[in-house]
Amino acid sequence: MSHTQESGGRRLDRRRFLTTAAIGGATIVGASALGGLDAEAAFAEPMPSLDAAIPAAFAEGRIVAMNRNVLDVAGSHGERHLIQLTNATSIWKLRTTTAEAIEVGDGLYARGAAMPDGTIAADAVWVNIVNVYVTIRGIAKDRLHLTHGNDELVGRIVPDTTTASYLGGALTADLSRTRIGQEAQVLGAWRPADGSIDIARVSLGH
Amino acid sequence: MIPLVSNLAPLVCGLLLALTGAAKLFGRQTARLAANTVLVRVLNDGRRATLALRALGGLELALAAALLAAPDALLPGIATALLGAGFTGYLAYAKATAPESSCGCSASDEGPIGARSFTRAGLVVAGGVAAAGADSAWWSEISRRPGGSALVLAAAAVLLLGLTADLDRVWLVPLRKARIRVFGNPLPSGTGERVPVAATVQLLENSLAWQTAMPVVRSALLDHWDDEGWRVLRYAGAYQDERGTHPVSVLFALDLTLSVDTSPHPAVRVSLIDEETEEVVPASVLTPVPRRTVLPLAN
Repeated sequence: MSHTQESGGRRLDRRRFLTTAAIGGATIVGASALGGLDAEAAFAEPMPSLDAAIPAAFAEGRIVAMNRNVLDVAGSHGERHLIQLTNATSIWKLRTTTAEAIEVGDGLYARGAAMPDGTIAADAVWVNIVNVYVTIRGIAKDRLHLTHGNDELVGRIVPDTTTASYLGGALTADLSRTRIGQEAQVLGAWRPADGSIDIARVSLGH
Repeated sequence: MIPLVSNLAPLVCGLLLALTGAAKLFGRQTARLAANTVLVRVLNDGRRATLALRALGGLELALAAALLAAPDALLPGIATALLGAGFTGYLAYAKATAPESSCGCSASDEGPIGARSFTRAGLVVAGGVAAAGADSAWWSEISRRPGGSALVLAAAAVLLLGLTADLDRVWLVPLRKARIRVFGNPLPSGTGERVPVAATVQLLENSLAWQTAMPVVRSALLDHWDDEGWRVLRYAGAYQDERGTHPVSVLFALDLTLSVDTSPHPAVRVSLIDEETEEVVPASVLTPVPRRTVLPLAN
């Protein structure tokens, strides 16, 4: 996997160690629906804090500066947030990634705990995430042409990342069942440079 | 060829200006449209921007009438070219200061300013220059050379059709549909593909294991890797004991070939590793979800 090559041997050692621990873990069999913490959770109501003493916080805006692991974020309504990334912060930018992938100018949603000094210690940060209902107007090898209301959008297919779900079925890499004229929900990462969307997931027929 | 195009230019420009002018002057959407253009900022007022846009529509209509009625006069052609040049300048200004704003060019077109808008404005300039060079009226030109005229007019219609985003769904979408019917869907099909990580996450989040570990999990997915047929998903978490709160890695291991479709009730292995001591935390910190018993059915 791509992650494996870019990281050093120490990370691999740690993964090896964690794998051994994980496969030796307790097995729980069963199923029950419960709200998730994946990319879609960015659009869910802020969760109540797990610890009643720490108020939950939610922030949204554009990154205007980055200093080590603190993001300076200008909110859409004139507010300002300082967001502290920790080694427990999950970062999503089309896929699970690390803090190096964040750039100044990106938009974000962040969820975390409000700290006494006014910063937000983030549990999860979703960079440039967009969630739109669209109509498919064209299909090409590496992109979908979409309309959202009156706006035209280009949705790029990202190899090994873009998934589709048909009629509520499992997410799959099979994109060939898309049809022109279908209504779809697209979850993806907006590209500030040209306004197109890298598609993470396209849901059809829901 | 050149005199033919030149003599027909007043007709093409006149019809185009009549269409866009009427839409601007009488259109119900003009106010809504004006609100999205850069005019609002220039004139500092939405109502004045609407008025300006309607006035422009009136001007375009007047020019169209002049072009159609007096095709061999010099002035309407020059005025059209000037209008096109002014429009190009306005587009360049709007593009530089507010690139997302609507151009308001064809009154129903809402799209942002792009290559199409500039090409259209440039064509108005070219059309105006050509119309200024007309030496006979378009009606006499058509009656003199009907075949050539039809060709030129058809070419102009195709060109304008291609430059109008509103009409895309009339010709572009059917064209794309036909292409897919002939050549098949170009997107990758999933035969023999591995299960995407997102599908494994979906499977996990529907599982009882996730529900059980939920009180401990504090983050979204941090890392994932495949090993020996397992897909390992790592989350951050925290658990409490009498000595305080400790950070842990919450690890889930699932069969990497499974998805919600193939296995709605997967076996999930859950482990907690203390981040500081790197020791496995006993699973007793997890709160098992009480198993529901099925109510007996009446026979």
